[in-house]
Amino acid sequence: MNGMPNQSIRYLYPLLGPFIFFWIMFWLLPLGFGINLSLQDPSSGITNIAGEKVQYVGFENFTRTISDPKFHKALGNTMWYVVGSILFILPIAFFLSLALFELSRFLRGIIAFCLLIPGLALPGAMSKLFYLFFHGREGALNQYFVIPFGFDPINWMMDPDFIMPSLVMQAVWRWTGVVTLFFLCGLEGIPRWQFELAKLEGFTNFKKVRLIFLPGLRNLALFVSVFLIVDGVAAFSGAYTLLGGSGGMLDSGLLLVTYVYQVAFPGGSGRFDLPGAAAMSLLVAPLIGGVLFTILKTRTLLKKV
Amino acid sequence: MRRILSIVFIATFLLISLYPFAWMFFSSFKSNKEIYQPTMLLPEQFDGVAYKMLMEEQFIDFKGSLWQSIFVATSQSLLATLISALAGFTLAKYSFRGKSWLIGLAVIIILIPRQALVVPVFEWFNWLGLTGTSFSLILCGIASGLGVVFFAQSFKQLPNELMEVSKIEGISPIRIFLLIIPLFTPGLITYFLLHFALCWQEHLLALLLLDDSKLTLPLALAKLSDSSHRAPEAIGMAAATLSFLPILCLFALFFTKMRTALSQLSIN
Repeated sequence: MNGMPNQSIRYLYPLLGPFIFFWIMFWLLPLGFGINLSLQDPSSGITNIAGEKVQYVGFENFTRTISDPKFHKALGNTMWYVVGSILFILPIAFFLSLALFELSRFLRGIIAFCLLIPGLALPGAMSKLFYLFFHGREGALNQYFVIPFGFDPINWMMDPDFIMPSLVMQAVWRWTGVVTLFFLCGLEGIPRWQFELAKLEGFTNFKKVRLIFLPGLRNLALFVSVFLIVDGVAAFSGAYTLLGGSGGMLDSGLLLVTYVYQVAFPGGSGRFDLPGAAAMSLLVAPLIGGVLFTILKTRTLLKKV
Repeated sequence: MRRILSIVFIATFLLISLYPFAWMFFSSFKSNKEIYQPTMLLPEQFDGVAYKMLMEEQFIDFKGSLWQSIFVATSQSLLATLISALAGFTLAKYSFRGKSWLIGLAVIIILIPRQALVVPVFEWFNWLGLTGTSFSLILCGIASGLGVVFFAQSFKQLPNELMEVSKIEGISPIRIFLLIIPLFTPGLITYFLLHFALCWQEHLLALLLLDDSKLTLPLALAKLSDSSHRAPEAIGMAAATLSFLPILCLFALFFTKMRTALSQLSIN
């Protein structure tokens, strides 16, 4: 890093200290706790009640999780959910932002704000809304889009083939506006002279997109995909309210976090399998970390910080 | 021709984005029978009974939840903005031993969603004896990797000469930070808003960490849609509408500031 003053770390403690403190207290220590927990015997229940003696069982929880077919199902579903939503959101948001960029600054601000609105709403509230929209034959989606085109009405929430698509649609609806705003601001940040040059050189639209817009948005697109992956993996609220905490028909809407929650706090049976859930969390975390790390490695965002 | 196409494209998306909200708002006046016909937009009559029932706390303590949500989201976002700005400034403008290590840390925090670690976090707070209080929910979201990366990017615009001069003059890093921070208000506000939005929506951690007397809005809404309560659907819609208003106002108020900060951020 050129030209930056080299400061002895002693003077930087007041600046960095709070962040490091919170990071250790509420991230690193829980992680250690989780590792400890994942090695325990699940039958001992919630650990810290009255100093009950816990039994360590080694890696049994991990092997149990790896061979659990429901875990595979949840992993696969989450992958489809994430990949599906990114594949729809990024192109739509890109073209929307290009279309908005041609309008006047004031107008596009207003429209971008309106598009942002779905991203602000509580996913729980939205799921309730979608439940009514997707619900049965009378649902708006069936009435407006499916029946007029001569198809049979689709049972969006019950048919195992359509639960994931409805979840993905929900994600696309929520995030497209936010991503469009990011892209639009990115386009506004592109220096003027590049457009003037394009005008002088007589670029075609295609060339303009390829040489100016795409490079201008590359970093943002990367940031946005990371954000979407993280949000998609952590998706809980929408599916939880939509499917009432279950995985839906044949578990076809079972997402990872929902399953972790189900294992840890099974409704009714009262047998908490916290160690199993902790082991599952610990298996998932490096997996996500690995995926994202490779994405970031290919484009060196790390260098830019 | 292309212009018309792009206008149609924009208008379609505008409609898709806004129509459900219009439906949500109007549904808060409908009877159950009307709500179960989703293609119907306007209710037969506007009476606002649902809002009245909500305010009288017939099914859930709505006002309590609203304040709880506002309190948690505001205090968490304020603290997170402050702490991330401090750390981001240091990472952007000073070089010191162990810096790359710290950047790695910050990135890893973003990469692994807190929700994936929810069970260990729950156990840890249980051990600390903090579960059930709203402090647990506030504290666990403060160290945010997203914030550090965001501020590290924003503060990079600060000229290095300024830092050199301050070093020669012997001004301490914390004084410098206090001097330059007013210049970065748009960035601070933007991050505050982003964090606020994420915190406002937090469901899972709230579900685990809070006890029943301190429900935040997502929990209250989930409770309301629980079929065992037999609450009329209109109440759910009214609650959804009201829970949406605070954050909408907040974003509308600072939207221009946010645009400025975002377009500056992407130059690199």
